[in-house]
Amino acid sequence: MSRLVGSSVHRVEDERILTGRGQYVADVRVPGMLHAAFVRSPVPHARITSIDTSAARGVPGVVAVCTDDDLEVADMRLWGPPELLRPAFRPLTADKVRFVGDPIAIVVAESRAIAEDAAELVDVDYELLDAVANIDQALDASRSALFDEAGTNVLLQTSHVHGDPYAAFASAHDIVSLRFVQQRQGNVPMEGRGGVADYSPATGELVYHAAHQNPHQLRVSLAALLGHPAHQLTVRCGDIGGSFGQKAYPSREDVAVCAAAITIGRPVAWIEDRSENLLAAGQAREETIEVDAAVSADGDLLGLRVHMTLDQGAYQLTTLPSSIFPTIVRVLLPGPYRIEHLAFDTTVVATNKATYVAYRGPWEAETFVRERLLDVVATRLGLEPAEVRARNLLRADELPRRGVTGVTMEHLTARETFEQALDLVDLPAFRAAQAAARLDGRYLGLGMATFAEPAPGPPDYSRALGVGASPRSAQRAVARLEPDGTITVFTSQSPHGQGHQTTLAQLAADGLDVPIDQVRVVHGDTRLTPFNLVGTGGSRAATLASGAVVGVTAALRDRIVAVAADALEANLYDLEVADARVSVRGTPSAGITFAEVAARLAPDLDVAYDFAIPDGGWSQATHCCWVEIDVETGIVRIPRYLVVEDCGALINPAIVEGQIRGGVTQGIAGVLYEWAAYGDDAQPLATSFLDYLLPTAAEVPRIDIVHVESPPQGPIDFRGVGEGGAIGAPAALTNAIEDALAPFGVTITDQYLPPWKIVALVHGTSVMTRPA
Amino acid sequence: MISVALTVDGHAASATVEPRTTLADLLRDHIGATSVHLGCEQGACGACTVLVDGELARSCLLLAAQCDGRAVTTLAGIGAPGSMHPLQEALRDSHGFQCGFCTPGFVLTALALLRDNPAPTEAEVRAELSGNLCRCTGYQSIVEGVLVAAERMAAE
Repeated sequence: MSRLVGSSVHRVEDERILTGRGQYVADVRVPGMLHAAFVRSPVPHARITSIDTSAARGVPGVVAVCTDDDLEVADMRLWGPPELLRPAFRPLTADKVRFVGDPIAIVVAESRAIAEDAAELVDVDYELLDAVANIDQALDASRSALFDEAGTNVLLQTSHVHGDPYAAFASAHDIVSLRFVQQRQGNVPMEGRGGVADYSPATGELVYHAAHQNPHQLRVSLAALLGHPAHQLTVRCGDIGGSFGQKAYPSREDVAVCAAAITIGRPVAWIEDRSENLLAAGQAREETIEVDAAVSADGDLLGLRVHMTLDQGAYQLTTLPSSIFPTIVRVLLPGPYRIEHLAFDTTVVATNKATYVAYRGPWEAETFVRERLLDVVATRLGLEPAEVRARNLLRADELPRRGVTGVTMEHLTARETFEQALDLVDLPAFRAAQAAARLDGRYLGLGMATFAEPAPGPPDYSRALGVGASPRSAQRAVARLEPDGTITVFTSQSPHGQGHQTTLAQLAADGLDVPIDQVRVVHGDTRLTPFNLVGTGGSRAATLASGAVVGVTAALRDRIVAVAADALEANLYDLEVADARVSVRGTPSAGITFAEVAARLAPDLDVAYDFAIPDGGWSQATHCCWVEIDVETGIVRIPRYLVVEDCGALINPAIVEGQIRGGVTQGIAGVLYEWAAYGDDAQPLATSFLDYLLPTAAEVPRIDIVHVESPPQGPIDFRGVGEGGAIGAPAALTNAIEDALAPFGVTITDQYLPPWKIVALVHGTSVMTRPA
Repeated sequence: MISVALTVDGHAASATVEPRTTLADLLRDHIGATSVHLGCEQGACGACTVLVDGELARSCLLLAAQCDGRAVTTLAGIGAPGSMHPLQEALRDSHGFQCGFCTPGFVLTALALLRDNPAPTEAEVRAELSGNLCRCTGYQSIVEGVLVAAERMAAE
């Protein structure tokens, strides 16, 4: 039988998705189901002086209107480090509203339309407070604190020193100082959040149908927050319409919907609409990063001093503290480079905005800042950026090494991706074309960016982040030989577009020598799937879920063959497996089918296997972006985009490439189109697709991908690619834009570069507009 | 309340709904046609696109009452597992989609495109699909699938 792994086999998911048979959370129908709508704050910061729900309760078809007083729920805080101020907050806010979209009440009715009608009739009186709209306002101590108990909007201030940055700066030839700014961006999955809480007063069972990346984490969190016994709480996820980090935590709405269902004693559905999603589902990336770089005359990065300030929005996540994002940036900032001295200060502030959430490559700033910095250093020194990159990238003879931030860099091929990219780019030819084009008043640019992505990262990665003392966290898979001889694989992954029903089935089918249609991959149901607090996220599945499935199918195969050997009275080593049947080699008639084996094995049909994080675990890539800029209109065109990457062996190349292209598209969009804007009064300005601009097929360029082949790192040589595209693209694109605008003497430090800003950059200098 | 009778994917259907009910809500909540996905309810994302008497329409922007007596085609109506439309087959071959939420609108938009322009260029496909948003793919795999479908359908 031909191997499935390594081949772009059809996705198992596609037959149902392409024929409209998918089952998303909005498609869940439960008898007696009611529909919820939230009353949300229209003002960014105010004390609530009264809430009058009587008119809403009187609307025919309304079953309940619940405020904080009506729901038995706990404070939403579950976990966080001691250095982070973590003010208490409720699923439905009671005392104050802290952003436009803050949920105040939940209206439950016979239809969504009735619930929305009634929500408009809930009368809330506010005593307005001055709003905190951005980092500068948050650092201004004269502004009102969002949380009285904190008394300040600065929730975290830490300093870390790695190596000896003071000595590095003392010996520097030059110090390059830059202040990078990333704008707030949304994850914007095409499907919003949602859930259907199916509560049975008769049994006390709560089944929460959700669209969620982490079903087990959601289950244990809901049990804690609702005070509901975990053994009577199930989370069930079907098809999920994307997430990109947004559906990865127990949300305040999840808790309110479940609490309302328990209070009312009937099932309650909440399906977020787009306006709610853009207002309240969470945003990311808004960070200011001040960097001083100590450099040698030859362009060596001797040391960095960094101060990162992150705007966490109003409320923290229940299961992911806002301090984690700058922590990951700090740990990964040296990346695949020889950066041995780093001082890193962190500030996290609260503002009157939606919550900062993880967004595809939540540490993307480390690549943006470092790769932009390398280009600026090159320009200052009159060097080619590629030359500076080559000087600073670690060489094979320097590996393995424990990086200065405590994470082991091993099996690094970032340099190989860079060198291959350089070959494909043909820099001298590009520079000649660029010079010729400038004479015609055309502005071409080329940008590169190189990085290593923890996918999943080495065993000491979580320790370096300070989030786990245990160096190895296992991922379990369970495989079942069904009575008819087919195979069911249970995974703790919760795919939402990644195609795990296909890739894990490819691995299992190869492992057991059965056709792929005899393997079913089950995910998303906490009653069935192995426990893991992390489902799908952090580019972990390619290594961890795959390793677990390879291990469990090998174990199941051993068990099947052992039973067959006994039944056939044959030596184990004389047996061969093909098409769900075990037979004696050379005597095909002497055989036993998987179904017959199952009859002998029952009830011991399940096998479990735990996979540990292996060494290495880095995916790595070099992105190359070509641009042509119309300096009159500020429009940036991308005629070519190339990713040279190494994610190890490919299970399904088309799925890998789809992940990369999707990520690159989001990265490009983060530079050219997307801004979850708020005014200086903290009013949100991008609450529909008319204001929050997603790129379409007409804007996104073709993206070419080259896979670097490197020696296998171990028996499981698959690594994640979920986030790298989004990590590399903003740096590569902004480097290309600065390169194109070099005649204008422009230094780019803002990630957001829509046409108006390009035009401003072009006109913001006294440099001539066209070379002589 | 008003009564609406229409044809959905070749089957007669009827429902009594509030006058303000959109076609999308009629299809999803009263007729069970859940292949119609709501991504923005503002006509911007295109996920809810259906064919009404053969013409592309955003079902979130039409009232159910406007569709009385008309024939609606949804994604579920153009092919089924085991008997997919050549366009669906081509999109499967190209790994066109990932999460699948935007898929209904893209497939129906592409179907109308290939009917009106059986041999489109890549630029024409990209322009025609630019009223539909996908957050997963970067569009390349969708565009390729439509171009492959055009070739195959021309050869048939």
